[in-house]
Amino acid sequence: MEFRLPDIGEGLTEAEIVRWLVPVGSAVEIDAPLVEVETDKAVVEIPSPFAGTVLAHGAEEGETILVGSVLAVIGSDTDAPIVGTLDTQEEALPPRVDVVPASAPTPPAPPSSEPGGLTGAVRALPVVRRLARELGVDLSRVAGTGLDGKITRDDVQRAAEGHSGIRSETATEADERVPMSRLRRTIASHMERSWREIPHVTTFDQVDASRLLSARAALAQRYDRAVPIEALVIKAVLPVLHRFPEFNASLDGDDVILHKRYDVGLAVDTGGGLIVPVIKRADRMDLMGMADEIARLSTAARQRTLVPDEVVGATFTVSNIGAVGGGFGTPIIPYGTTAILSVGRAADTPVVRNGAVAIAPLVPLSLSYDHRIIDGGLGRAFMGVLMENLEEPALFLI
Amino acid sequence: MKTIARSINDALRTALAERDEVVLMGEDVGRTGGVFRVTDGLLETFGPDRVIDTPVAESGIVGTAFGMAVAGLRPVVEIQFMGFSYPAYDQIVSHVGRIRNRSRHRFTAPMVIRMPYGGGIGAAEHHSESTEAIYTHIPGVKVVVPSTPYDAKGLLLAAIDDPDPVIFMEPIRLYRSVKEEVPDEPIRVPIGEARVVRGGADVTIIAYGSMTRESRQAADLLAEQGIQAEIIDLRTLTPLDSDTVVASVRATHRAVVVHEAQRTGGFGAELIARIQEEALYSLEAPIERVTGWDIVVPLKRTERHHLPNADRIVRAALRTLEA
Amino acid sequence: MLQILRPDGSLTSDPPVGIDRTRELFAAMLTARRYDEKATAIQKQGRLATYAPFRGQEAAQVGSAAALRPDDWMVATYRDAAAMWMHGYGWELLLLGRMGDERGGHPADGVPVLPPSITVGAHMLHAVGLAWAARIRGEDRIAITYFGDGATSEGDFHEAMNFASVYRTGTVFVCQNNGYAISMPVSGQTASATISQKALAYGMEGVRVDGNDLFAVLAATNAAAGKARTGRGPTLIEAVTYRVGPHTTTDDPGRYRTGGEEAMWRDLDPVERVRRYLVAESAWDAEWEAQVLAEATGDIETAVRRAESLPAADGLEIFEAMFERLTPDLARQQGDVR
Repeated sequence: MEFRLPDIGEGLTEAEIVRWLVPVGSAVEIDAPLVEVETDKAVVEIPSPFAGTVLAHGAEEGETILVGSVLAVIGSDTDAPIVGTLDTQEEALPPRVDVVPASAPTPPAPPSSEPGGLTGAVRALPVVRRLARELGVDLSRVAGTGLDGKITRDDVQRAAEGHSGIRSETATEADERVPMSRLRRTIASHMERSWREIPHVTTFDQVDASRLLSARAALAQRYDRAVPIEALVIKAVLPVLHRFPEFNASLDGDDVILHKRYDVGLAVDTGGGLIVPVIKRADRMDLMGMADEIARLSTAARQRTLVPDEVVGATFTVSNIGAVGGGFGTPIIPYGTTAILSVGRAADTPVVRNGAVAIAPLVPLSLSYDHRIIDGGLGRAFMGVLMENLEEPALFLI
Repeated sequence: MKTIARSINDALRTALAERDEVVLMGEDVGRTGGVFRVTDGLLETFGPDRVIDTPVAESGIVGTAFGMAVAGLRPVVEIQFMGFSYPAYDQIVSHVGRIRNRSRHRFTAPMVIRMPYGGGIGAAEHHSESTEAIYTHIPGVKVVVPSTPYDAKGLLLAAIDDPDPVIFMEPIRLYRSVKEEVPDEPIRVPIGEARVVRGGADVTIIAYGSMTRESRQAADLLAEQGIQAEIIDLRTLTPLDSDTVVASVRATHRAVVVHEAQRTGGFGAELIARIQEEALYSLEAPIERVTGWDIVVPLKRTERHHLPNADRIVRAALRTLEA
Repeated sequence: MLQILRPDGSLTSDPPVGIDRTRELFAAMLTARRYDEKATAIQKQGRLATYAPFRGQEAAQVGSAAALRPDDWMVATYRDAAAMWMHGYGWELLLLGRMGDERGGHPADGVPVLPPSITVGAHMLHAVGLAWAARIRGEDRIAITYFGDGATSEGDFHEAMNFASVYRTGTVFVCQNNGYAISMPVSGQTASATISQKALAYGMEGVRVDGNDLFAVLAATNAAAGKARTGRGPTLIEAVTYRVGPHTTTDDPGRYRTGGEEAMWRDLDPVERVRRYLVAESAWDAEWEAQVLAEATGDIETAVRRAESLPAADGLEIFEAMFERLTPDLARQQGDVR
């Protein structure tokens, strides 16, 4: 039977063995003195709770043992009462450090394309919160109409109905409140940030795309597949980026990081909003390879199967608004880059060539850039070289 | 590394050395150094005029100390166990807490009443009381309860410095079972400030005294399930630092209050009222209380059914997450 | 029982003070009685919340207070206005207290008199602590405490006597045995033949004096104060007197005592006794007494007027004296009152 050191005084945690009164191998009777121990308070003689032979001492004289650890082992045939002990194990506290409490203000999240959601406290009574849970309403997306922005039951009900598309027949006069989708919220948040922080300048021009378009037609015929115009545009842009590195850069504090990689973002209209997959290492691709990649990314974007890595890290962005009939525009620079090129739809337009009027397919170009880094002269220079490339594909298809 | 008992001894030694007005009084505090040896060695150093062994007379001790405090001394009184403080309750509520108000600041009672308290020590009847609710209810008196050696030293020195009466509760169960690095020099921990001892986003556990240890164990168990509990050690009951508590619950949306004292009318009820007043709109679930039952504290053999333990705290936290 | 001045104004032994001082003390007793009459009257007019008259106890209070040094501590009860006034606690403050204004608890800095204790029996311990602290600080100021026969039944009386004796504090315990604790006669309060004999149990000196005898009270308190001041320990003085009036103005003594008893004690009146002595010593005349009373009345009326014209504190003030500084909770609650 194990005899564990009991707490013999209020809150005792350890004791030092002073003197063993019964050596190992000797017999001991119930309640006979077994050992002297010293506690913080006094030297105490502990009697044995069992009769039998002392088989082992839990510690030597002079050693200190904790309450609850084995004091002695006594061989016995009889059922001896178990001496209860208290849980008085010692605990060493870790060094005192200032913990970050849950209420501490969180630092601003780094830019990412993951939906950020609305931050800030949601004010709602517990009963309203439960209703929201039952109806599957995300309270962070509901604007409260109660006092101080408190979300009411009605707010939750309306949010729930809005999702399922149920319109009340009697509410034809009221405005419709449509909560933004996750994608829309993300786009909105990024747009807002870019617009707020980056001084935009947009420079406009039109380029005669006749030779570009005939090159495309020839490639399509040779390879028996459509070649997206974006592939040719990007191919035309890449050498210009190489020549004007400020357009393939990021602003970091007071430093401008001139990227050595060329990861070109291509804006894709998914129907629910713009997604910008990134063509990584665009400068290492040949034209048809890039065409394949563009097709792949566009499909994935529309199917929402892009992985997070495919939508981050663009160093320059191209947006083909011509695909949806757009002409000129004022594209918004994706946060973390310094420029974006928007390409409009080619339109047959009268032009003057060699003193005579001719019809040429003119493509509107809109180049927005970060005026903190790029001045107007540089912007015009970039545009000039780009237009030369687009007018004469031989300049970049080598 | 020092224990709570040692840290209190340090603080008393410092106070006796720094200020001539400080006087210790209580049963068995001098010759025997206190039944928990917390005042060990002080009589030998400072003499019987500064460390006074008294007759068995709790009301007499507090009433006399009150007179001393009015006269300009700084008595630090020991009531041997909270369960024996009740004869002195009249002196505390009728006079110690009132004299400043009664005389509009003309007479004051700067004194500390130390009360070892709480269960889990397997002692005889009356020795395991945790009746802080009757003291937190008294106007004019502050009630403080450290749970670590550092806080014990810092809060006791702050209490002795305080111009108003302070009841200093000492969790007997933790006297020697927690250790911590505590500087040898005097330190001060402000009265009226709770401490976030562990940060967590999922649920707030509010505790004091020996229940902070059960709370730490509960937080570890919750962490194994991926739940991060924030633990607040109140350290002062009155004046209550409700701002820290409310800020935490606003961030975590869930709260569990833990005390070993009986449930009904216990201090947890006050905490829950405060949280309800100031953070109702942040709550995702009802606030849970893990407390002793509304019974006389059981004796040693069945006491464990009464005292909150980590398991009960974990279950309460989980209930807030399932609600 | 020690008696120096008999009811008829004659002496059993030498008085403890000369004639001039006796005239001063007589004037003080007259003034005190005037205050008691005025306070009783205005309470019945609803201008005081409650009042506990001390009529008949003037010698016990004035005589004992006269033995004190100005810096001696005094811890007295709601019935001890005369003693408190003698020791520097103004009429105006006493009246404010009875009007239910805590500012009545704040005497001037040089007045070491605690606000009157309303609880019975708890405050003697405070006097023990005060005297003890004085000794620790090396001061020879003593502490006097006043209480009635009823208070001797409270546990804290025992604890105070015990502590004072064990630690030999410089505390003078003055028990005004005025015969009643509200309606309970002292015979029902204790089985001890006298209250002063209780001191024996503690190893303390107990002295029984005729509480209506100015000289006996003064002599006994002088001796006790001297003893206390020189570190020779505490004394219990039982001043046997009579509560001529009711417990408070809402009490009806006719329900528990007889007119015959009251009449008997009228013959033992402490003020009359000193007047007879002064007359016998040719140290009294009617104009002088009238002048004393006129001055007293003037002072007391002024005090009444000042107390009554002090505007009540606003609702914010009730939070201000709980602690040295408002706690955040009190500040918030005070904001709710605003």
